[in-house]
Amino acid sequence: MSFQTLRQDWLGNVRNDVLAGLVVALALIPEAIAFSIIAGVDPKVGLYASFSIATIIAFAGGRPGMISAATGAMALVIASLVKDHGLQYLLAATVLTGVLQVVAGWVQLGRLMRFVSRSVVTGFVNALAILIFLAQLPELNPNTAGVGWPVYAMTAAGLAIIYGLPHITKVVPSPLVTIVVLTAFSIWMGLDIRTVGDMGELPDSLPVFLLPDVPLNLETLKIILPYSLTLMVVGLLESLMTATIVDDLTDTRSDKNRECAGQGVANIATGFIGGMAGCAMIGQSVINVKSGGRGRLSTLVAGVVLLILVVFLGEWVKQIPMAALVAVMIMVSIGTFNWGSFRNLREHPRSSSAVMIATVVVTVATHDLAKGVLTGVLLSGFFFAHKVGQILRVRSMADNEGRSRTYTVTGQVFFASAESFANAFDYKEVVDSVRIDVSRAHFWDITAVSALDKVVLKFRREGTEVEVIGLNEASATMVDKFAVHDKDGADDMLVGH
Amino acid sequence: MTQQDNKVLACVDLSPYADHVADYAAWAAARMAAPLEFLHVIDRHPALPGGQDHSGAIGANAQEALLKSLSEEDAARTRAEREAARVFLQRLRERAEAVGASPVDTRQRHGDLAETLSEQQDGVRLFVLGRRGASADSTQRDLGRHVEWTVRSLQRPILAVTERFKAPERVLIAFDGSAITRKGVEMVAASPLFKGLPVQVLMSGKPSGDGPKQIEWARQTLAQAGFDVVAEIEPGDPQVMISQATERKGIDLLIMGAYSHSPLRKLLMGSKTTDLLRAVQVPTLLLR
Repeated sequence: MSFQTLRQDWLGNVRNDVLAGLVVALALIPEAIAFSIIAGVDPKVGLYASFSIATIIAFAGGRPGMISAATGAMALVIASLVKDHGLQYLLAATVLTGVLQVVAGWVQLGRLMRFVSRSVVTGFVNALAILIFLAQLPELNPNTAGVGWPVYAMTAAGLAIIYGLPHITKVVPSPLVTIVVLTAFSIWMGLDIRTVGDMGELPDSLPVFLLPDVPLNLETLKIILPYSLTLMVVGLLESLMTATIVDDLTDTRSDKNRECAGQGVANIATGFIGGMAGCAMIGQSVINVKSGGRGRLSTLVAGVVLLILVVFLGEWVKQIPMAALVAVMIMVSIGTFNWGSFRNLREHPRSSSAVMIATVVVTVATHDLAKGVLTGVLLSGFFFAHKVGQILRVRSMADNEGRSRTYTVTGQVFFASAESFANAFDYKEVVDSVRIDVSRAHFWDITAVSALDKVVLKFRREGTEVEVIGLNEASATMVDKFAVHDKDGADDMLVGH
Repeated sequence: MTQQDNKVLACVDLSPYADHVADYAAWAAARMAAPLEFLHVIDRHPALPGGQDHSGAIGANAQEALLKSLSEEDAARTRAEREAARVFLQRLRERAEAVGASPVDTRQRHGDLAETLSEQQDGVRLFVLGRRGASADSTQRDLGRHVEWTVRSLQRPILAVTERFKAPERVLIAFDGSAITRKGVEMVAASPLFKGLPVQVLMSGKPSGDGPKQIEWARQTLAQAGFDVVAEIEPGDPQVMISQATERKGIDLLIMGAYSHSPLRKLLMGSKTTDLLRAVQVPTLLLR
């Protein structure tokens, strides 16, 4: 990394970076509070986390201009840990997540991202949007204490300001105006509705270093490790996806492995100052780029301004009605959802739509993005194997005046196509010899090789001479390693068949 | 592609300084009978203009909409610059052909200047670039912001030209006995670029024991090649001695080694090359 790159990353775009950072800081406050609520912790846990992650990623991240903070994806995973074991275990899990992510960056786990197909990514963001939206419903449920028609009216007014104001002016962030207006209105009217202050403690000082208060033993590890693993996977997935999105938006490149390690460093530090685990945020990164943010400075400004605002304006932040927050979060979920995927359901191949829908369904059902993505990845692998398995043709022609037959195999032979390969031969035909020409086929795995063995042996049992010709280089190495038919005693080894 | 080989590559931006670059490049190409190429690099990622959208609201399909609008902006900017640069390069080409350079080619490429030039340097015999460029009026610096990084990334001689063209008549070699300046002396002796011009060799800095021997070697090397040589040793601060000598003797082209130290050392000690480039007001041939 040269001085020039460093300079470009930090100072290439100062004015726009500072302005975009301000916009993002203001947008981060309601999100950090909302995600803390999803996770079941005090708002200060999410706010400290957002400050610390954004600030550290500015230095350690591999994708300048990408915003990382406390996120919905991570909050969803955390929720059950907090419910069962409390905040201190969350902090320990956050530190462990960071350690795992640093290791992931070190062993270049980012390369695995290529197995996550486009459909899985779409399913991921759609599921995320749905879950963020669902998490707002308790605040709109008439059975919740303090929820009545004023809350619905305020939420509707909030959405009207958020989407209406940009048509009039784009100078001030409309979510901020929404929050200021609705807060002022509710204080002025003395409305008795739920506010952020009701949801738990807000920061009243700068964060301090503290060790998570958990016993350091195997018992603790057993509790936090499964969560940390899930958090690591979810965090890296969303971060790398977001990095790709920012790469595309700005037409520049990023260092994915550095990003993995950077996310880890940020989470380790965050756990030690009492913050929850986080990762990159798709919505906020889009807002940042849209506001002109490109360099590392934008991320740093976002983090630092967030902390200053929250610590010094804590008294006012407490008064923000939940209805205003809900309006902002509905905007976030609408902005995150990929609306084009409805149209694509009709246009895309059915298998990709199935992968997308499966990812969404599993995620929404389990509230676990990692499980959803795993389902999507497995399913895409399954569909791919099925499709490639169809690329197999076996043709045959009698020659030498009917004394022999030549089979010509073209295409891919592996576990998914081995059976149709074996079934393509006519074992009952009475011929002296059979030639199997596989020069235009690929044998990929042990299943394929044993299928070839089986074919050869079946012919030999009928007293037919078999000759396999034209094993190309790739197939030859596989066959040399695993095949038995051309070795002594081949028949004995397959007596059990 | 033999025509590509051993060409003079003149790097221009769309500033008035490009004319001087073109004149010097045409002069060098004509003297060396080498093909000349004008190169303009379009950097797709310049600093953004202000006045962006600060609404902070994201509607449905925000990401797709943003991607579309950003790529359209990029495309429009590139198209506009491409056409302007094509016209500009064409004019420079005619200007160079008028003073006898031939053949003259023009080319535009996308990317970062330093990166583009180091990719191109295999077929290049001499780079010509302006010490100042389009950003000159808005910055306080004496040197264009690209010059140092560009020079550092290249392994070929670079002619860094100033603001007025005057066909060089007196040449000064800043000689310090180092490998790079000795190579420079040999290059001058062998090159048609300076044939027939009087050459001065100046050695300054701390007096050293074998200084006279080294400068005598330089004088002989050049004299054998048929040059009219004056070789001198003037102890003192090289920066001061060289810039004084340049003015006193009416030198109009300086030859020196450039950036032989690492960027780290430069950060701590400052760079002799940069200081000297600032102090000397004549075109300078930088040897790598």
